[in-house]
Parts: sequence; C-alpha cells; structure tokens
Amino acid sequence: MVEWNFIAVFSDFDLLLIGLLNTLKITALALLFGVPLGLVFALSRLSKFLPLSFTAAFIIEFFRTTPPLVQLFWFFFALPILIDVRMTPFIAAVVTFSIQSSAFFAEIFRGGIQSIDKGQWEGAKAIGMSYRQSLIRIILPQAVKRMIPAFMERSIELLKTTTLVSTVAYADLMFQANDLAQKTFRPLEVYTVVALMYFVLIFVFSQMSILVEKRLAQSGESTVR
Amino acid sequence: MSHTWDFATIIQNWYVLWIGLKGTVFIFLVTVILGLSGGLIIGICRYAPSRALSWPAMAFVEVFRNTPVLVQIIWFYYAFPILTGIDVDPFLAAVLGISLNTMAFSAEIYRAGIQSIEPGQWEAGKAIGMTYNQSLRRVILPVAIKRVLPALTNRGIEVFKMSTLASVVAYVETLNQANLLADLNFNPIEAYTAVAVIFFVVLYPVVQGTYVLERVLKKGD
Repeated sequence: MVEWNFIAVFSDFDLLLIGLLNTLKITALALLFGVPLGLVFALSRLSKFLPLSFTAAFIIEFFRTTPPLVQLFWFFFALPILIDVRMTPFIAAVVTFSIQSSAFFAEIFRGGIQSIDKGQWEGAKAIGMSYRQSLIRIILPQAVKRMIPAFMERSIELLKTTTLVSTVAYADLMFQANDLAQKTFRPLEVYTVVALMYFVLIFVFSQMSILVEKRLAQSGESTVR
Repeated sequence: MSHTWDFATIIQNWYVLWIGLKGTVFIFLVTVILGLSGGLIIGICRYAPSRALSWPAMAFVEVFRNTPVLVQIIWFYYAFPILTGIDVDPFLAAVLGISLNTMAFSAEIYRAGIQSIEPGQWEAGKAIGMTYNQSLRRVILPVAIKRVLPALTNRGIEVFKMSTLASVVAYVETLNQANLLADLNFNPIEAYTAVAVIFFVVLYPVVQGTYVLERVLKKGD
C-alpha cells in the first residue's frame, strides 16, 4: 500500500505558486497579442485582394495543422539561427502561443463576421459608411458578442497548452512540478497536487464560461455549437 | 545573420524521421480508436437516466477535460506506477494520457449528438415496442453519430497533433526523432522545419476533407 506524504510538497508550495503565476502570465500575454493578431489574420483572409487572403489562409492553416510543441521547438531552437536574436524560453513561449492561438482566434473572428447578415453591411453602406467604419461600428460589435463562447473555450485550451513551455525550461507550473518531484523524490504527491491545481483553475474558468454562455443565450445572441 | 538552408543531412537520414512517423501513426491509431470508442460508451453513460451511470461519467469527463494532457501523461508516467506498482513505459503513459483525454472530449461530442435528436424519435421507438437500449442503438445513435461526424474528425486531427506530446516521455515518434537529428547534426532549423512540414502535409488534406464532409452532411440533413 502506498503511503501518501504531502509534507514535502506543501513545505515548498511557494515554488508551485510561482509556477502557477508564470502559467497565468504566459496565458495572459499570449491572449494580449494573439487576439488582435487573430483579428488581423481574419480580416486579411476575408479581404478581396487575393494575395493577401491566400497568405493569411496559408498562415492560419499552417499554424492550425502543426503541433504546438513543434512550433515551440522551432521558435526556440531554429529561429535564433535564422535571425539574430537571443531567444529565451519566455520569448519563445510568448511568440509561439501568440501566433498559434491567433490562428485559432482568426477562424473564430471569421466565423463571427461571416455570421452577420449581409443586410447589415448594406445598411451601413447605404448611410454612407466606409468599409472600415461599417466594420468597426456595425459588424464587429455584433460579431464579437456571438464569438464570446468560442473565444472563451479557446482561451481555456490555450491555458492548457501552455504546459508545453516546461519542455523548453520556462518555469511554469508544470516545470516547477518536475523540479519539485526531482528534489523531493515524491512524484506521486507532487504530480497529483499539480494536476489538482490545474483542475481547479481550469474548472473555475470553464464554469464561468458556461455561465456567460447561458447569459448570452438568454439575450438571444449566441452561437451555441 | 544569413542562414544557408541545408536539408542534405535530413534527406540522408530520412529513415530516422520515417521511423518517427511510423511511431506517430501507430500511437495515433491506438489512441484515436480507444478514445473515440471509449468516448461513445462514456457519452452514453453521461446521457443515461440512471444517476449511478451518469454521475461517474460526468466526473470522468470533467477531470480529464479540465487538466492539460501533458500533466496527464506525466502523471501516468511518474505517479501512476508508484500508486499501482504497474510498470509504465513511455508508450503506455502516452496512450493512457491521450486516449483518456480523447474519451472525455468525444464523450461530450456524442452526448451533444444524442441530445440533438428530437424527443419524437425516442417516442416513436417506444411506440413500436423498442426498449431504451434498442431505440438508442437502432434509431438514435445512427443519426446522432452522423451529425457529430465533423466534430469527431476535428477531434481526430487534434489527437494526431497531440501525439507529439509522447516525445516528452521519450516515446519514439516524429518530434522525438527530430530532436535526435537536431542533436546529431546540429541543424535544429532544418530538423524542426521538416517536422512542421510533415505534419502540415499530412493534416492539410484531412482538414480540407472535413470541410467537404461538413458540406455534404449539411446537404443530406
């Protein structure tokens, strides 16, 4: 019978808390850069100028069909050879997850924008708005509201994907767990506690997203899958 | 800094990546089959009227959907053997992590599919004397599964990409082999570019295929 012993884990719990903070930091930064970039990719893909729309489509499909771990290794090990930058695990992680999630956000933006009735564009044009004005004032506000559930789901996926940064030695929660498991010789307790920490964090976020989704469904503006 | 691309060492050692790709395909097949069929059973339990079935299924789904796959794989590799005394090799750890995760996600897909069927179908099944299990198997599931086919293929694509995580516990698959090549020949840029291209070439046609499938199914409905 296994004897569980959590003393070693909890005496170094601050290590795990630092990791948790770093996990949240990477997620937040990836969202901060990924969402606007996603909008740019989506608008480019919807553009009538073919070279632009093809390029955007290629980038989106490329980052959606290659594994995030391969992308991370590429940015960490390969990019510094191609261009002269000093790559740190932190930069590699932020760059990878910003671009990777932007590809997915782009598809969410595109779905949202395309779901808006054509009459809205025509209406905006009829009262003299330019493409840019109709987009900002009429289309996006409605599209964004419909996108919220998909957007939140993707953000939760992103939070889970950030565990990959531990493989390039960025001190996120997963990395700190590996570290602590080696130091304390108690992998069972360490990895169980860390799995629970992730569970609680992600469970809270998904429950919140379910609440928001219900709220949106009530106001009649939702794209429930 | 300018870099001269040199794929010669990659092409010379193509069989290293080939072995990796075979490992990727093998673990993909095992996890996708286990994941999608196990998910069907859990999805049915999750929908079942009996709480003794639906609650454990719900707990399973929530636990495996709300923890990262990498954490699951690592847990099965390092923690599970201590708990059970079972020897876990990299392959088993990766298969357990990825297929249990896939079960949880596909269970929700199947459940959504079953829920999307009009109650009239159940009633019709009952009216001609079918039991719950018979209606489910003969009337509900065939239509439900057809409806969720695009979502299931998307899951399959995710699983194929997820298989790279097996490299973390040193299971021999494409990315793991690329690490080997990069270390041997000091050419991470070509090695990782090659892997990215391999995944793109394999998955891009599949993704396009799912778009076609979605359109065909929409027409048929």
